[in-house]
Amino acid sequence: MKSLCKVAAKSAQAILLLGGAVAAQTAPQQIVVGSPAITANQPIPKDYTADGRNVSPPLEWTNVPASTKELAVICEDPDAGNPPPFVHWVIYKIPATAKGLPENIPFEPGAPMPASVAGAIQGVSGFRRPIYRGPAPPPAKVHHYHFVVYALDADLGLKPGLSRVDLLTAIQDHIVGRGELVATYERK
Amino acid sequence: MTFISRRDLLKRAGVVGAAAAVAGPDVARRVAASNEALEHQVAAGAQASAVPGREPLEHLTAAESDTLEAIVARLIPTDAHGPGATEARAAHYIDRALGGALASSRQAYTAGLAALDRYARSSRGAPFAQLSQTDQDSVLIDVDTGAATGFTGSSAVFFNLVRAHTWQGTFGDPYYGGNANFVGWDLIGYPGIRTIVSAEDQRRLERNELKPNHKSAYDTDMFNKATARNMGQRRGDGEGA
Repeated sequence: MKSLCKVAAKSAQAILLLGGAVAAQTAPQQIVVGSPAITANQPIPKDYTADGRNVSPPLEWTNVPASTKELAVICEDPDAGNPPPFVHWVIYKIPATAKGLPENIPFEPGAPMPASVAGAIQGVSGFRRPIYRGPAPPPAKVHHYHFVVYALDADLGLKPGLSRVDLLTAIQDHIVGRGELVATYERK
Repeated sequence: MTFISRRDLLKRAGVVGAAAAVAGPDVARRVAASNEALEHQVAAGAQASAVPGREPLEHLTAAESDTLEAIVARLIPTDAHGPGATEARAAHYIDRALGGALASSRQAYTAGLAALDRYARSSRGAPFAQLSQTDQDSVLIDVDTGAATGFTGSSAVFFNLVRAHTWQGTFGDPYYGGNANFVGWDLIGYPGIRTIVSAEDQRRLERNELKPNHKSAYDTDMFNKATARNMGQRRGDGEGA
């Protein structure tokens, strides 16, 4: 009985140690995400919604880990979708040197990306298209929009046309930094 | 941007072209006569600047026609690959059919075109027909995805209606007022309706060497206008022209 207790105690210790080690390995560095056009927790300006020009907003970020090889951004609305979140934007293969995303990333299939994010690819959103489409919620409820930035420790050779789930699956073991900007929108 | 990539379009249009083959006599001559002015433009490369002036409308108002012409021009655009829905006169087909086979859609067009134009003004600051092509495409994406406001129900329903009719007007039998000068069939490489296909024709077809005959189904002895009327009555669904 005593030896059984010893084994159990050692196993528990091992699990705790392992858990701690895993946590140390996977806890991503906090990336600070902002925007010259969007204020955190405030309504998104109409130009970035379906009630306006519906162009992608400018984003900027700091505190990206030194080991970053590429970045990815997802915009999602946890207040919508079946199941949630509803995905508004998926963009990845963003160069590690990028300090953000300029406004109005092109939605034409053959259009080149801006020089600062050359090589970036847009994945498929909840609107079934590989482009940014902004908030267009049903009226009378405030929705929250999370612009999530991921720093990745490897060039993963990600293919075009990935969905949010595809992307998260592909990058899950390579996230060394993460941060988000949350803003709102409501249609009256 | 082309609103629909040409590769996607041609893939989908193959179905429409095949369906159109099922559709009486001297029609091509009638269409060819009415389209004489267009023929030269299409042969010359169908430049965007060669869009013809407005012809008399049968059912749409001038404002509705302007919006519809702008929509169809983005759904199947004229570009370096050749003519599009404008040269095929898809909007003319729709205008004409709204008094006949598509009469049940008349109200949907009145409401939908007005809603789309209001949405363009409120979101992009100008009537749809006056927006840049990029903004027109962006508006149409919002209408297609149901994100646009001001429609009765989802804007996607109206988008699907117009898209289906634009395909009909571009790739259907010219007898019905669209596919002018067979530009739609030429676009997808459809060689035309044939009641007899010889072994040599088949071989040429497989080698993409079978020249289009540019004939309407109604140019063959098997079909005539009475046949078309009877088919429409039997179908009784008001669609499918």
